[in-house]
Amino acid sequence: MRITDLVSLCFENLRRRKGRTALTVIGVMVGTCAIVVMVSLGIAMNVGFDEMIASYGDLTKITVYNWGGTDVKMDDKAVAQMQAMDHVTIATPIYTARYLSGQIFSGKNDRYAMQLYNVVGMYPEAIKALEYELISGEYLPDSGKSTAKKDTIQVLMGQYAGYGFTDTKKTGSNASRWQGQTDSHGNPLDPFVNVEKDKMLLRTSVQDETDTSLKKLEYNIQVCGVMKEDYQKGYVTSAGVIMDLNVLKRLENEYIKANKIKVTDTNNGYDQVVVKVDDIDNVQAVEEAIKELGFSTDSMNSWRESMQQQSQSIQMILGGLGAISLFVAALSIANTMTMAIYERTREIGVMKVLGCRLPKIRQMFLIEAGMIGFLGGLIGIAVSYTLSFLMNHFAPVLMSTGLGNILPMYGTKVSVIPIWLALAGLGFATVIGLLSGVMPANRAVKISALEAIRHE
Amino acid sequence: MIRVRGLRKVYRIGTEKVAALGGIDLDIPKGEFCCIVGASGSGKSTLLNQLAGLEKPTKGSVTINGQTISDMNENQLAVFRQNNLGFVFQSYNLLPTMTAVENVALPLMFKGISKRKREKLAKEQLKQMGLGKRIRHKPTEMSGGQQQRVGIARAFVGKPKVIFADEPTGNLDSKTTVEVMNTILQMVRKYHITFVMVTHERDLSAYADRIITLKDGQILSDEYPKKQSQGELAQQAAAAPEQPMQNNLPQQEQDPGAAPEPFEANPTQQTAPEQNNETPGQKVPVADEMEKESKTDE
Repeated sequence: MRITDLVSLCFENLRRRKGRTALTVIGVMVGTCAIVVMVSLGIAMNVGFDEMIASYGDLTKITVYNWGGTDVKMDDKAVAQMQAMDHVTIATPIYTARYLSGQIFSGKNDRYAMQLYNVVGMYPEAIKALEYELISGEYLPDSGKSTAKKDTIQVLMGQYAGYGFTDTKKTGSNASRWQGQTDSHGNPLDPFVNVEKDKMLLRTSVQDETDTSLKKLEYNIQVCGVMKEDYQKGYVTSAGVIMDLNVLKRLENEYIKANKIKVTDTNNGYDQVVVKVDDIDNVQAVEEAIKELGFSTDSMNSWRESMQQQSQSIQMILGGLGAISLFVAALSIANTMTMAIYERTREIGVMKVLGCRLPKIRQMFLIEAGMIGFLGGLIGIAVSYTLSFLMNHFAPVLMSTGLGNILPMYGTKVSVIPIWLALAGLGFATVIGLLSGVMPANRAVKISALEAIRHE
Repeated sequence: MIRVRGLRKVYRIGTEKVAALGGIDLDIPKGEFCCIVGASGSGKSTLLNQLAGLEKPTKGSVTINGQTISDMNENQLAVFRQNNLGFVFQSYNLLPTMTAVENVALPLMFKGISKRKREKLAKEQLKQMGLGKRIRHKPTEMSGGQQQRVGIARAFVGKPKVIFADEPTGNLDSKTTVEVMNTILQMVRKYHITFVMVTHERDLSAYADRIITLKDGQILSDEYPKKQSQGELAQQAAAAPEQPMQNNLPQQEQDPGAAPEPFEANPTQQTAPEQNNETPGQKVPVADEMEKESKTDE
């Protein structure tokens, strides 16, 4: 017997009991729907948690510290080690120069000046990877690709860096401008310096004014781009300066030489390294690997973990509720199939007498039951997506009613159905159908051919 | 073709044991039209069920075409039935959702023959039986006689070696009975198929080459009526057994609606004379007495 014949026979059998098939399919549909929607609420909670945490910081970012106490140095070698780990997109030191002070000047006769502070050095490649956003200009050229002259320093500046300049010709409140300041007519006042356009000069200060042998160093500042203020990334995006790590180190070394500073303190390497991981789910593994190296880490992961555990238990309860209704649907499939066997006893007997093999009889009933499950699952998924859409659409209304108390909404959505959930729901419904067909199918196999065709 | 040895069947009813068949030995050669008659409760249906492998015998063996079916399991039996056996039932047992052609094609479907091929064969079979116009009809849209002819077409479509029929005309009126029996006879002769029929209608046994009468699970008589009534023809047949049948065939095909005179039309006899001696039923009463008995029973 061919499988196509078997399947078309099953179709025919389902078709002729339209009403009953439809009712059973609806049962499965409701069950599938219950599970999928319930789980989707839990998933939406998880997504909501993630959104919430993401608003506090990058979930895939790990910050590595070296609190000391061990022999390990967080130097370039250690950073390279982290970079080489699986799932690590990029690792970069966040370097702040210990020995460097100076001012940035701009305007005619260096009228406007800004203290050089909040200067951060990192790998240029990492700036983009860590999602520092620019509102204008371009990122720094990759390490070693820079074509700038030695006395020119390429930087990214914070969105409001211009407000850091003061007018050296004035005193008091007139000497500075701040964000949101307006004149007497209510017109906004621009900062003294437009960092995108105006020429700027970095001049280092001397360590000891009395020592005349010390030199002041001068560099041209070339602003490649202006960063968007983002407090998750730090104050540097607001009023700071970012430059290539190697450029900053060179600057510092030149400053140390020019000021004849003796570097004495024991070097523990970088204070802080930031590691970016390719996926949230790999954060924990990478964090553990970094801890193995002897460093301390900090990420949003531990927080996320505990929230996920909480939502997981809610998901389990919701899924369990759904499972109960699918179980009821399974009973109704079994019932429908058993009824079908009573009705078709004679038919089964005839088939057996005509030479239908027992496994085919069993398969026939299993396929029928499986089809009911599959159909119910398919429709159930479609209905679930519709329900999910409606729930999300009317989320605010829902939240203001009772549901908000039961299901706190953390994100923007009440219900999220990922494709795996849809497929799992469909598969589950089909398997349930098959399983509930096992008993009736065995019963059909056991029907005696003779009994079945006996004269009425 | 069919060989039965020491066949016993005991049913257990409550704590009591009832012997439905008590040690039957029987040989049915290829191409024989064999009729099993007897009163209700004589064990004739039980015997048919054993022969067809629908029930396991308590003791003894049934061999068809060299294969001992009484030793087979259900699946082996199913495969054996697919390839060797055909069935005609009293209540037709057509599947109500299927059309005539689908019903006829059903045994071929179990054999795994493609839809196109099996429906072609089924159509041919139905046309041969004069049902060419009913191919797409469902059983409920046909008369009893038509339904039974569909049932017969289903039995013959796979060209089995043996066909078993359990009261094939039990639900039909006398005119239709004659039509149906002629159809059967025609097909049996044409394809040289062994045909075993159970009936309690004594008249029908007139179609048969051989009549086996059962009583209380024993063979009461085993006779070859044509041989007795038409000694000459039988001798002819014995001299050239294949000849008359082939001659008869075209004649029948040309005139399928002809009034049934099976005796004259089909004087073929395949049976060897020794078999009469073998069967134990020979010892017991004569046919006349038998006839009375079965009639009073009814």
